[in-house]
Amino acid sequence: MAPAVSKKKFNCQDVEKKVQAFLDGQLEKEQVLLIEEHLDYCLPCDKKIEFEKKLRFVIKSKVRENSHPKKLDLELKRLLNDKNS
Amino acid sequence: MPTERQLEFESLVAPHLNSLYSTALRMTHNQNDAEDLVQDTLFKAFRAFDQYQKNTNFRAWAFRILVNTYITAYRKAIRQPQKVSYDDLEEFYLYKKLDETVALQETAKEDFLENFFEDDVKDALENLPYQFRLVVLLCDVEGFSYNEIANIIDAPLGTVMSRLYRGRKLLQRYLWNYAKEHGYVVNEQG
Repeated sequence: MAPAVSKKKFNCQDVEKKVQAFLDGQLEKEQVLLIEEHLDYCLPCDKKIEFEKKLRFVIKSKVRENSHPKKLDLELKRLLNDKNS
Repeated sequence: MPTERQLEFESLVAPHLNSLYSTALRMTHNQNDAEDLVQDTLFKAFRAFDQYQKNTNFRAWAFRILVNTYITAYRKAIRQPQKVSYDDLEEFYLYKKLDETVALQETAKEDFLENFFEDDVKDALENLPYQFRLVVLLCDVEGFSYNEIANIIDAPLGTVMSRLYRGRKLLQRYLWNYAKEHGYVVNEQG
């Protein structure tokens, strides 16, 4: 079965519609290539995509807790030493 | 003395305590409730450990229990209808706002992101309606795939994607509002 769209080019709106799936690595190869082809010559879209990547990095690094309360370790130990469990 | 089974459980769950606690904290908004939520999750996971199939995705399995426990405990609180309009949310919102308001250089736009306080980003995220917050946390903070999230929250893939995409767009809007309120940007257009 031939793909419904082939040999087409992506414009800025196409990129905008697909940007999230693209950055999540969830697009079909054909669509990834169409976006990359567009980014090669469209500087405004390229800049926006770079900004999105940076934003995701910033959110992840600022939101994630890198430790947990000691109480939870003790709770886990207690659970494991409980003869009834 | 812990049995072999107990030790196996410990070795599987211990590496994920930070992740579980981090997600619990963003979902419950405070340390005590997050501790309780993770504690309940550990208890349930341990009791259900026989149902866990060896060498499958333990992390996703544990998160599925965390999410179920959260939804059961907060059922009343989260059943409130969410009155947010999503139709007019657009992509690249933050970038476009920065571009039209302050005409920053590209490096300055990225510095703008770095300058957000941790608490602002956490607050913005915690203000998202819980369905959106949950998928954004699972994908963008914990790094789960769409399929893993569909399994964790027990929803179709299409639902995961639509919540994730809307949640991220809404988050950009909230971040922009924080930036304005806290004077990170001077809105020249009033």
